Amino acid sequence: MSLTWIGRVAEGLLRIGTLIAKELIQLRRDRVLLTFILLVPALQLILMARAIERGVSEQPLAVLDLDHSQASRELITRLDNAEEVELRYYVRREEELRRLLDQGQARLAIVIPADFSSRLKSVSPPPRIRVLVDGTNILAGSVMISTVSGVVSRISSDLAAGYGLITPEWIDFRTDVRFNPAMDFRDFSIPAQLGFILYQVTLAVASLGLARERELGTLEALIVTPLNRLELALGKGIPAVAVGGLNFWGMWAVGRAIFQVPMNGSLLLLAVFTLPFILVVVGWGLTISALSRTQQQAILLVFILAMMEITFSGFLVPVRNMPTLLQFVSRFSPLQHYLVITRSLMLKGAGWMELWPQVLTLVGLAVLTWSLAWHNIARRLE
Amino acid sequence: MSWHRMIAVVRKEMLHIVRDPRNLFLVTISPAFLLFLLSYIFSFEVEHLELAVLDLDRTPLSRQYLATLTSDQDLVVVAHLDRYDQILPLLRRGEAEAALVIPPGFAAKLQGGQPAPVQAIIDGTDPLAGRQVSASLTARSQVFAAARSRPSGLKRTELIEVSTQVWYNAGLESLFSMVPGLMAIVLLMPTMAFALALAREKETSTLENLFVSPVSGLEYFTGKFLAYAVTGLVSAVLAWLVAVLWFRVPFRGNLILYLGLVGLYFLACMGVTIVIASFVKSQQTALFTVLLIFLVPSFFLAGLITPVSTSSWSAYLISSALPSTHFVDISRSIFLKGLGLTHMLRPALVLLGMGVGAVGLGLLLFKKRIA
Repeated sequence: MSLTWIGRVAEGLLRIGTLIAKELIQLRRDRVLLTFILLVPALQLILMARAIERGVSEQPLAVLDLDHSQASRELITRLDNAEEVELRYYVRREEELRRLLDQGQARLAIVIPADFSSRLKSVSPPPRIRVLVDGTNILAGSVMISTVSGVVSRISSDLAAGYGLITPEWIDFRTDVRFNPAMDFRDFSIPAQLGFILYQVTLAVASLGLARERELGTLEALIVTPLNRLELALGKGIPAVAVGGLNFWGMWAVGRAIFQVPMNGSLLLLAVFTLPFILVVVGWGLTISALSRTQQQAILLVFILAMMEITFSGFLVPVRNMPTLLQFVSRFSPLQHYLVITRSLMLKGAGWMELWPQVLTLVGLAVLTWSLAWHNIARRLE
Repeated sequence: MSWHRMIAVVRKEMLHIVRDPRNLFLVTISPAFLLFLLSYIFSFEVEHLELAVLDLDRTPLSRQYLATLTSDQDLVVVAHLDRYDQILPLLRRGEAEAALVIPPGFAAKLQGGQPAPVQAIIDGTDPLAGRQVSASLTARSQVFAAARSRPSGLKRTELIEVSTQVWYNAGLESLFSMVPGLMAIVLLMPTMAFALALAREKETSTLENLFVSPVSGLEYFTGKFLAYAVTGLVSAVLAWLVAVLWFRVPFRGNLILYLGLVGLYFLACMGVTIVIASFVKSQQTALFTVLLIFLVPSFFLAGLITPVSTSSWSAYLISSALPSTHFVDISRSIFLKGLGLTHMLRPALVLLGMGVGAVGLGLLLFKKRIA
């Protein structure tokens, strides 16, 4: 009795193994696809990390200085020294500012009035500088506004104290930045991109498997084999999990070796916590695969899901800034939980104590998506 | 090149598009649908930052200082702490962006004319949030100190008045900035459908039938491109209607010019797709290429969220090579700045150059394959 049971499990495992072998042979034949799956994620990580490492920086500034005083030059120098802006144009007439802003050659313009320094030194109404900001890029616009106001507030108290207009009373404000002391944009974005690219590739691999068999008419051949549904799901799912795992290690290595992203937590924990994430994604992929008749349909679903993930994951828009309903929906986004895990583990050195809610949610989602996948594959095969 | 044969290809392609409802959705309605979805998610309120406070001074002055710091809505105190060692676990759990420590003797020092130290411990994980919280804490502290400073003959509180005008998007509305930018993303969908159609023809071996017909490579690609570009333009009009009527984004430019440039955007994207398609064997691979070469980089490198980086030349080169970078610029310039053709000449020529170059290369590769 028990022997036949063991025998049956062994046979099942053998069948799953055969299916996996078939999948891998198929994958190896399509060279372009294989290259894409294995190399492009790491390459993409390199390119994107290089591109967005600085966030908003060196935005072109145009200046119209009608005062030509020491104070106005001091203001311009300090603006130029701010990392966010860079002095590019020094114009003589106001129309030129309009032209530069229109053409996007300048994103920020400052007009310093002729009476700037004289009013600064006197008791009369304060001098008024005009700041023109290109609002087409909302992030750049708001960063530039806060940069200018920061520089102006610093310089104005310095200058006023220098002219003896006020007796300063200061707060000695010291900041101490933890977890990412240099506030490096790259250290912030690489753990997130790692999660996102992993999500995409794994989902695409998992979702096309069955749809492709159906479209090419090879699914019938698989159905008449002794494979049962669970074995079919596992045989299709495991190669996708393996691809996801390989990608994870490849990108992690790139992040560490090329970009020196800190790894303050335990690597073992990161690998362990990655597994439920990959499982959730593969479960979704298999469900999509079972639901769609053609590859094109599967692709469409993958696309829409990937778009939703980008937005719901908190990758671009912090989750707490979303409307409440969307915040609720976003709880079902595996990427959101995984991004918290990668960032906290790599940068903050967090562990199980801080991350158990995310890990348990992922495990729950994995159970949910695999049940869905199994159910739908079973329905399809009948 | 015969117009007659090319029109035949266009007609065949149109039939494919119209006959399959999913394909029709992908080509015509999906951009409007995605624009709707994505824009809703991007229409968030002004960010507020969360602050934990450890006030060891506990004087009226320290409370007054805290009140100044949180006078606007963008800094919110979420926790009052009692001990210093509570700070790090709190930050590690991500419950606050920063913790502010007011040491004992704060009020005494401030009133005694000595510098009063204050410490802010900032979670630098998200540099944007970190810098924002650091900048606003510093600025507010200065405002607080300046307001208490004894003026010697000076009657005003403000030392320099800054009048800020935001041009093109006066209220810094995130929707007005994001919707025109997102057009570049959602209008990748017709390209996606085009890539899949090219790959499907190869995968299901119907391309051989075309080889034996008198249709030349140029006629084949032009016909296919025209079919997808024309339906793509329909999708662009639908997405434009969503932007203008639903999201009420101002459209200050010329619609004909805009659609013409959308056509050039399609030409550049689909041209690159033709080159890729000559290496691609299956729809699956086509999906990967479009996802990894167009979609993901377009979100991050095209200036949609963070402006195009000019600090590293390799990044700048990649951004410039992406058709979406130029289209994000075009779209925002026409929607918000209302610029005409003379200003749009440069990005338009870049897109045209990309498109013509890629189609030429694609044809060469195609001929090599047939031979």
